[in-house]
Amino acid sequence: MFAILVNFLLLPLTAQSDATTESSFAKVRPVLETQCLGCHNPKLRMANLSLASRADVLAGGKRGTVVVPGKPRESRLLAAVRQEGNLRMPPSSRLADGEIAALEAWIQAGAPWPENVAAKVPGKLNHWAFVTPVRPSEPAVRQRGWVRTPVDSFVLARLEKEGIAPSAEAEATTLVRRLYLDLLGLPPTPEETAAFLDDRRPDAWPRLVEKLLASPHYGERWGRRWLDQARYADSDGGSRDEPRQIWRYRDWVIQALNADMPFDQFVVEQLAGDLLPNPTHSQLIATGFHRNSPIQIEAGTDREQYRVEAVVDRVDTTGTVLFGMSVGCARCHDHKFDPISHREYYQLFAFFNSTDDWGNDRPRYNARYNNLVHVQGPLLEFAPVDVIATRDRVLARLVELDEKLDDYKREKKPKPDDAFVKEIEAEVAVLRKQLPKGLEGSMIQRELPAPRETRTMPGGDYLAKGEPVQPGVPAFLHPLQKTSARANRLDLARWMVDPRNPLLARVVVNRIWQEYFGAGLVATENDFGTQGTPPTHAELLDWLATELVRSGWSQKAVHRAIVNSAVYRQSSKVKPNVMERDPRNQLLSRQTRLRLDSEIVRDVALSASGLLTTRVGGPSVFPPQPEAAMSASQIKKTWKASTGADRYRRGMYTFFWRVTPNPALVVFDAPNAMVACTRRNRSNTPLQALTLLNDTAFHEFAQATGARLVREAQGDAARLDRAYELALSRKPSAPERERLQRWLAQERDALASKPEEAKALAADLEVALWTSLARVLLNTDEFITRE
Amino acid sequence: MTFEDRIDLLRTRRHFFRDCGVGVGRMALGSLLAGAAMGAPKNPMAPRPPHHAPKAKSIIYLFMAGGPSHLDMYANKPKLRELDGQTPPESFMKGKRFAFMERMAHQKMLGSKWAYRRYGQAGNEFSELLPHIASVGDELAVINTMKTENFNHAPAKVFAHTGSIVPGRPSIGAWVTYGLGSEADNLPGFVALQSGPRGPRNGPLIWGSGFLPSAYQGVPFLQGSEPVFNLQSQPGVTPQRQQRALDAVRDLNTLRYAETGDDEIATRIAAYETAFRMQTSGPELMNLAGESAETLALYGAEPGKNSFANNCLLARRLVERGVRCVQVYHTDWDHHAGIANALEKVCREVDRASAALVRDLKQRGLLKDTLVVWGGEFGRTPLSDGEKGTAVGRNHHIDAYSTWLAGGGVRGGQTIGQTDDIGFYAVEDPVHVHDLHATLLHLLGLEHTKLTYRFQGRDFRLTDVAGKVVTKLLA
Repeated sequence: MFAILVNFLLLPLTAQSDATTESSFAKVRPVLETQCLGCHNPKLRMANLSLASRADVLAGGKRGTVVVPGKPRESRLLAAVRQEGNLRMPPSSRLADGEIAALEAWIQAGAPWPENVAAKVPGKLNHWAFVTPVRPSEPAVRQRGWVRTPVDSFVLARLEKEGIAPSAEAEATTLVRRLYLDLLGLPPTPEETAAFLDDRRPDAWPRLVEKLLASPHYGERWGRRWLDQARYADSDGGSRDEPRQIWRYRDWVIQALNADMPFDQFVVEQLAGDLLPNPTHSQLIATGFHRNSPIQIEAGTDREQYRVEAVVDRVDTTGTVLFGMSVGCARCHDHKFDPISHREYYQLFAFFNSTDDWGNDRPRYNARYNNLVHVQGPLLEFAPVDVIATRDRVLARLVELDEKLDDYKREKKPKPDDAFVKEIEAEVAVLRKQLPKGLEGSMIQRELPAPRETRTMPGGDYLAKGEPVQPGVPAFLHPLQKTSARANRLDLARWMVDPRNPLLARVVVNRIWQEYFGAGLVATENDFGTQGTPPTHAELLDWLATELVRSGWSQKAVHRAIVNSAVYRQSSKVKPNVMERDPRNQLLSRQTRLRLDSEIVRDVALSASGLLTTRVGGPSVFPPQPEAAMSASQIKKTWKASTGADRYRRGMYTFFWRVTPNPALVVFDAPNAMVACTRRNRSNTPLQALTLLNDTAFHEFAQATGARLVREAQGDAARLDRAYELALSRKPSAPERERLQRWLAQERDALASKPEEAKALAADLEVALWTSLARVLLNTDEFITRE
Repeated sequence: MTFEDRIDLLRTRRHFFRDCGVGVGRMALGSLLAGAAMGAPKNPMAPRPPHHAPKAKSIIYLFMAGGPSHLDMYANKPKLRELDGQTPPESFMKGKRFAFMERMAHQKMLGSKWAYRRYGQAGNEFSELLPHIASVGDELAVINTMKTENFNHAPAKVFAHTGSIVPGRPSIGAWVTYGLGSEADNLPGFVALQSGPRGPRNGPLIWGSGFLPSAYQGVPFLQGSEPVFNLQSQPGVTPQRQQRALDAVRDLNTLRYAETGDDEIATRIAAYETAFRMQTSGPELMNLAGESAETLALYGAEPGKNSFANNCLLARRLVERGVRCVQVYHTDWDHHAGIANALEKVCREVDRASAALVRDLKQRGLLKDTLVVWGGEFGRTPLSDGEKGTAVGRNHHIDAYSTWLAGGGVRGGQTIGQTDDIGFYAVEDPVHVHDLHATLLHLLGLEHTKLTYRFQGRDFRLTDVAGKVVTKLLA
């Protein structure tokens, strides 16, 4: 019987009844079309497999045969959809049992495929994030009085469906502090808090929102988040971790956000400002975004290897930041889950592969002199033309001498007192003194005169030479419009911000959302592909995305829609009865308490103490830090603490060495700037406690706060109130007041009995006492939390 | 909440669970679900169950930065000595890429000037440079066929620590503490100690946590009584004052906790308690004066000095206190020229204390639970290096070099791997860095393919897409 069956199956298809063929295939065709062909089509051929025709199916893919007609058990396609082994398809879902059964029956029947029938390759992949968002209408809700902005309707509709009530509005003092911290990264002063509490106008809240959105500190707060994604740092991250001239790019970001530069322009200038017609200085500085990739140079390295790594970093950062997808998987092989092939990866790579990374316009100077101008590559230089000309002339001569000396030493093996050597060395010494110092510049991208050839690199190996490719974009997205025969970065940038792009606006608004609520509407903020999580509020996400585009790509419009909402203004108190049903607060029936960012931990302490320097922008600064913080680097660097106003700048201006970053920033989870960071961790550790308790900088803030309390209020009760207002923007509760009054009595006695201890804290006994109290408040959880 | 909700919670909030350090593949799932209320943040260093029964609880990695010359210490090559001064066979040099390529064209074979001999019952071979390490030879499994991927220091170091040549990925210690947490209540779970003339290249990035939460990065210990930043109180803040302040902070935080119900506050209360204990336990740890004269002599340690010997002793004190991972760095192994004197000097600095650590751990019954590893980022060429007329050295070599392991779960008293007559290539049992990593994790109870972390849409692991456990190493 078995043999007969096999024989039957080996008969040519035409020998089977057409009816069998058609019925078996009819059940399978929709499965193939909706579930498989998005990736396994003749064009994309993920894993070198197409399932679009019988010939394709039988040809198999990279790993060999997938269907053995008549033998479901030997057909890997079936094992894959059953998701039993390592290969699990589709990657992010499971076929219905009926669909699997249909595939099995079809294979059992010999995988029949009627002649002249081709499966239809879907135009769009069957994945929500790959379809351009359409503006949804606001859903109807019962509690219409609760709705303040359209955001509320979407959230409330869902809550009403689930039968969960939203939380009450947070207390006014909590709200005002929340809004200041969220929009500016600074707490309100007691006077600013009082001004809001006294404002009885019905639109007091939106007025405050507008005031803060217009503050220059808004650009600092939200600019820093963009800088996380731009893996911004002040050094190159290599073995020697050389400093870079790049702070003007940081300032460009702050200014662009303050001006609410349309986000599409914001992207275009950063990706391709240098390719715009007659680019302005500002547009050139914007390209610092991708110039600031980390590099690795040491004597003996193959520069090409790390140039390739820098290009990889730019491709992957572009993918993560602007697609919200990990294109990096396709560096070595076809992406296993998302429709990006190995070849397409290198088509993207080709856009970024023709920049000058070494500064080919300036004379190359021997690495032994460690010339920074050289290491930094292309620079927009601000020095007068004649000074630059002098620099270049001196450098050129130095290079010449250096080579001459090397040749001579190799050939002649001169003794140490060789006259020729001495002569050259003397000239070098003179020239080095002539080299102009401290020339200002800013690192920029620049295209080479002729593009480099790009080939695929099988296995991601930079020495492997695969097939040549031209710049291009992944086929599953909208088509690229080329402005010349060969597409360039500017074409890519304009393609990126095309409103047809289904990903960009969604990715951007989701990241804004996550800063306000602790998690995005799409929890996997860096993976909008098939392995990511679906949005909790798909319509809200699309409404915000379309709002961003509709408003002319105004990020401030998105902020407005969120912070004016009732959802945002809810209390963050945990509701035990909802905790069981919605432990992650995905339904948003309350706000969430969030530990402040590392820079802002510093900023709130500086604000409370009154020491804060509010200047926006400028070169990075060096606040005091533990002496040993720089000791771990290969090249010992000095950290000379800034004096005067620069000692008290906001945390985001602290000079960031990639290899030895400021410990107080790192301990509160500042990103390491080696790769794009799209969401910060919020850890909670003993080392954080030690920083706030014992770090010299924070102690100095406590001392200044103590002195300020003694200066600005009289009597324990008033000083306690003032301390709470400065640190937490509210008055103490009765139990807090009671506890601290008891504490003050003890501490006062202790200080009075040991004047030498008091002296060590502050010259004045009363200031010592309030310094001690400030230390307590500055170490509370609430102080470093946005409630 | 249903079971499905909890699974869903795990799947969608990977990030959250990684923050809490309980995201170790499926193995940790059971303990997680059995744990306290969902959403309750946990100490990222809380001990967690391994994937399988571990052989070692802690690891001490003695990292010899710069590339120690395996040919002068572990791999005896009489043939190379015979061929000393001759041009290397064409077959070895063809298509070969080196660091400092330009000066490799005219280099000659270089035999070792140090005599070798077999030691102990197992008869492992060591050169006369390492009399102390040789004396514990029966505890050691010496691999002579290590292989790595990049011939420059910084990339190779980053590779040896993270399995990638691009800096910014999690290091071995970060992966291990992410996987297992730590048994040390009052000390960091992962500590880096340094000696030698300078810090290792890429410094903190080689003990960094990469994209793992920063709680898992190695904490570099400083010399003196204050091993971590900010362990010492500010002037005027006596222990009593600190205690009084912390009591008030705790009470205020407790009031806030009652008000908000946010478990993060409970975690912070616990973190402050640990911090306060660390202020005492830190200086106690660093104080070597309590060690016996015999112990100090065994290591060659002198209290108050910054030396490799002190750091080895400190490493023992750390694992005694439950620290999971200790990286000990000694930098000064890059001997392109003048290897004769330089190698003798650095061996004197390192030999005694390396052996003392193994012996001391053994005497205290700790060696069975502690994995000790000794090695650098690569080895050195069988060819000479250096400018003509200067004292010779050796160039970087990545195709075969030596590393040894001892202790927890390692079968000591064996040599693994054969290289060709001049020690250029492995001819038997090559061990790639990824294989070493897989084996280290295995001994610590972790399966290297399961210890993953999703980042930018991909599951990353220490061993990238490679790595095989070296079964010959296992006891």
